[in-house]
Amino acid sequence: MATTSKQYKAIGEDLWKNKSEKVNAELFALTYGALVVQLIQDYEDYAEVNKQLEKMGYNIGTRLIEEFLAKSSLGRCADFKDVGEVIAKVGFKSFLNITPNITHAQLQPTTSPTTKSQSTGATPGSMFSLTFDDNPLAEFVELPEEALEGGLWFSNVFCGVIRGALEMVQMQVTAEFISDVLRGDETTEIRVKLIKLLEEEVPAGDD
Amino acid sequence: MSHHIFILSPTDTPLYSLTHYSSKPAQSAGSALSSNLPSWSTSAFAGTLTALSGASSATQHHTSAGGGVRMGGGQDRHVIQMIANASLDAIEEVMRRENVMYLKSVDKFNEWIVSAFVTAGNMKFIILHETKNDDGIKVFFNDLWELYVKTAMNPFHTAHTPIRSTVFDSRVRASAKKNL
Repeated sequence: MATTSKQYKAIGEDLWKNKSEKVNAELFALTYGALVVQLIQDYEDYAEVNKQLEKMGYNIGTRLIEEFLAKSSLGRCADFKDVGEVIAKVGFKSFLNITPNITHAQLQPTTSPTTKSQSTGATPGSMFSLTFDDNPLAEFVELPEEALEGGLWFSNVFCGVIRGALEMVQMQVTAEFISDVLRGDETTEIRVKLIKLLEEEVPAGDD
Repeated sequence: MSHHIFILSPTDTPLYSLTHYSSKPAQSAGSALSSNLPSWSTSAFAGTLTALSGASSATQHHTSAGGGVRMGGGQDRHVIQMIANASLDAIEEVMRRENVMYLKSVDKFNEWIVSAFVTAGNMKFIILHETKNDDGIKVFFNDLWELYVKTAMNPFHTAHTPIRSTVFDSRVRASAKKNL
């Protein structure tokens, strides 16, 4: 019953090929680039721009998750590892045709974990990292000096999307950039950490 | 033997300039006076000769930094600039007559040949060179065009402003090394 990694890949591939409307990649990259440049001109503070990009991503994510679940008809994930796999292999693949690499890790929770809410296998403190080989948003981009010094994360909208989407399925997470090739780092990496499971809307009897 | 490369906006604002010292042997069919001299008498005599003819080749100026940005020193720099600017008239004339991108060599000044390339957006690429090298220059112009388009697509680049990207600079130098 557990869906394997290969099956996720196949689902993602199928969604991209058959069930997605396509848009010109250059148009997409130029639009996003113009958006970021405009934000920089308006706010003039790179930390603020990062925050705004994340907020925009959050709004996108809360709506995107509905479409994603409808198209993919995937059920609930077994644990946080599964969540990461689905995001990387099905989510990013079906919307952007990229498959980031994923590495899982587990932080030790500082307080003793309560026994009742951990039955789904996702313990707070679980985390995974997504490493991007290529980034369609940053196709032609070279960051100027001021942006590098100011600490701009150009593709911060991704972090918002992940946070927004997961919050709609009862997971509170933080998603943040660890490194970015636009900044001169070796890889582009996002770390997603589970804070807690949100309990209000869980339907009784669902697995 | 050196090449001077300029990129100009449609309003003739200089956006980028580079001086490239080629390591390739001169292939000219005897355009400069110095090429008629026997090979052992190269640097000193040839240098004086070309200096007298109005613009000197870069061999005398190796000590000055051959940077991508304008070099302040060297009186010949002014001559180079003057030649480049003078050729703009010739370029515009050819542009009006024909509608091609690669304009080959549009002008000649002493031993400097000016070749030009005009893009669809009216950006002018100009190379001042001493030796005839049409094939290499054509390939180089096309490379330069591609690199320019990629830089123009950068959302942080404002159109028709000087190009300061180090990536662009290093790629242009690499292409110049390969083709010129």
